[in-house]
Amino acid sequence: MATHPLSSRRRRLIAAGLGAAATAGFGRSALAQGATFEHSFATGGRNMAIFPGKRPMIVLTSRPPQLETPFEVFNDGVITPNDAFFVRYHNAGIPTSIDPDTYVVKIGGNAAGKALSLSLADLKTKFKPVDIVAVNQCSGNSRARFNPRVTGGQLGDGAMGNARWTGVRLRDVLALAELKPSARQVTFDGLDNALFGGGDFVKALNLDQAMDADVLVAWQMNGTDLPWLNGYPVRLVVPGYYGTYWVKHLSQIDVVDEVYDGFWMRPAYRIPDNDCACVVPGTAPTATRPIGRFTVRSFITSVKEGQRIPIGGPTVIRGIAFDGGAGIREVGVSTDGGKSWRPAFLGEDLGRYSFREFTFPFVPDRTGAYDLRACAWNRAGVGQPTTANWQPAGYMRNVIESVNVTAA
Amino acid sequence: MNKSILIAASALALACAAGVATATPHSITLPPDGAQLRPSALPGYAKAQANCVTCHSAEYFLYQPPNAGRAYWDAMTKRMKAVFKAPLDDADIPVIVDYLTATYGTQTPP
Repeated sequence: MATHPLSSRRRRLIAAGLGAAATAGFGRSALAQGATFEHSFATGGRNMAIFPGKRPMIVLTSRPPQLETPFEVFNDGVITPNDAFFVRYHNAGIPTSIDPDTYVVKIGGNAAGKALSLSLADLKTKFKPVDIVAVNQCSGNSRARFNPRVTGGQLGDGAMGNARWTGVRLRDVLALAELKPSARQVTFDGLDNALFGGGDFVKALNLDQAMDADVLVAWQMNGTDLPWLNGYPVRLVVPGYYGTYWVKHLSQIDVVDEVYDGFWMRPAYRIPDNDCACVVPGTAPTATRPIGRFTVRSFITSVKEGQRIPIGGPTVIRGIAFDGGAGIREVGVSTDGGKSWRPAFLGEDLGRYSFREFTFPFVPDRTGAYDLRACAWNRAGVGQPTTANWQPAGYMRNVIESVNVTAA
Repeated sequence: MNKSILIAASALALACAAGVATATPHSITLPPDGAQLRPSALPGYAKAQANCVTCHSAEYFLYQPPNAGRAYWDAMTKRMKAVFKAPLDDADIPVIVDYLTATYGTQTPP
């Protein structure tokens, strides 16, 4: 994975262009329309654009919107701002008009004893509200870094974000629906539609997953209404699980007595059914299961590939680490390409589903190249692999990443 | 005059007290597509314009990796009909796949 020779220069040009626009008082949208971004992989050229409620984002697809967070945002703090949070839709029929006063979430299904229809006011007043800080990450985040490359949405590392979600526990809502003993799964549908009626985006959780106290029906993100493109006015929040389950514009919850096998549960969003969720590169798995919890990941955010850092003085290596819900126990930093590791300082603990900041003061004692790496371990003792796991769908990447810098 | 100011002020207070979600618009307008299909003399170009980008934008093709070969474009085009019920003529499928493979697949010139 060679670095694109133009990447850092182009990024600077983009930043300069947007800065100049703000100073001159031009509309940001006019300028963002022409801005581009270059990922460090083949076919990595992207447009940047402003979508409703968003700052200039890296456009993976225009219609339906799939928007990546510019990576610099992750160095600004462990909470991802709403206007920079990534967007991922599956079908082009996304809602463009919603009346919050008449909006309802319906609960039914053949294993619900009682059908319900809850307004936003019902959700906000009939249950105890809960706050939880949790990472949402697309299953295919970093897909374009797979080697050999795999088809699908060619994402860099910006399809993740961390927010404080406010909502009510799904299990409190389900309790009102008087579940029958036959209940096996809970399915979730949102207002987004497939234009010709096939392949509606419906997801399912096993009953025990759905009844977990941390699964929320949420209407707020970082203290304000959900951004439209992140599921306004209400979405499912499944902490520790890949974003595919976090159904947006949530409108229908069904409790069913079978394993739901719509397209987006089977064959889509499946992983090899083995411990590493991986296969020999280029081969197909013999058996699969639905994707589940995040693997352990960490990213250095404060220094970029190809950056020059000063010799003698400390450079703060800062970054973020997260996992599928055990919580981050330790982050190690290596400045010699993984030969030796030293512990980084961990930042404030916002909960076991949150990004955890780490910092490491690095004083280069010689000029030349340094291969900087971070590796996180969670409280279950699970770390990150030194060589990347491979699977045909390009999900769950979590190899220890390198950032090559030069001290001068 | 004073009375109307008072009425206006109390209306404002009411709006604030109600804490209505006035910050969130009830409708959105999405920007236009940022990419178009690559023109081609192949007959599949017109078919792709009529059948593919009517539902989704052209980045879905444009950004696939260089090793996306005919098998991928064939599987995706068939999926659009089988799963998503795209009203595709069976006869048009290989024509579209020819265009996609030549334009975005392994046959793309470097």
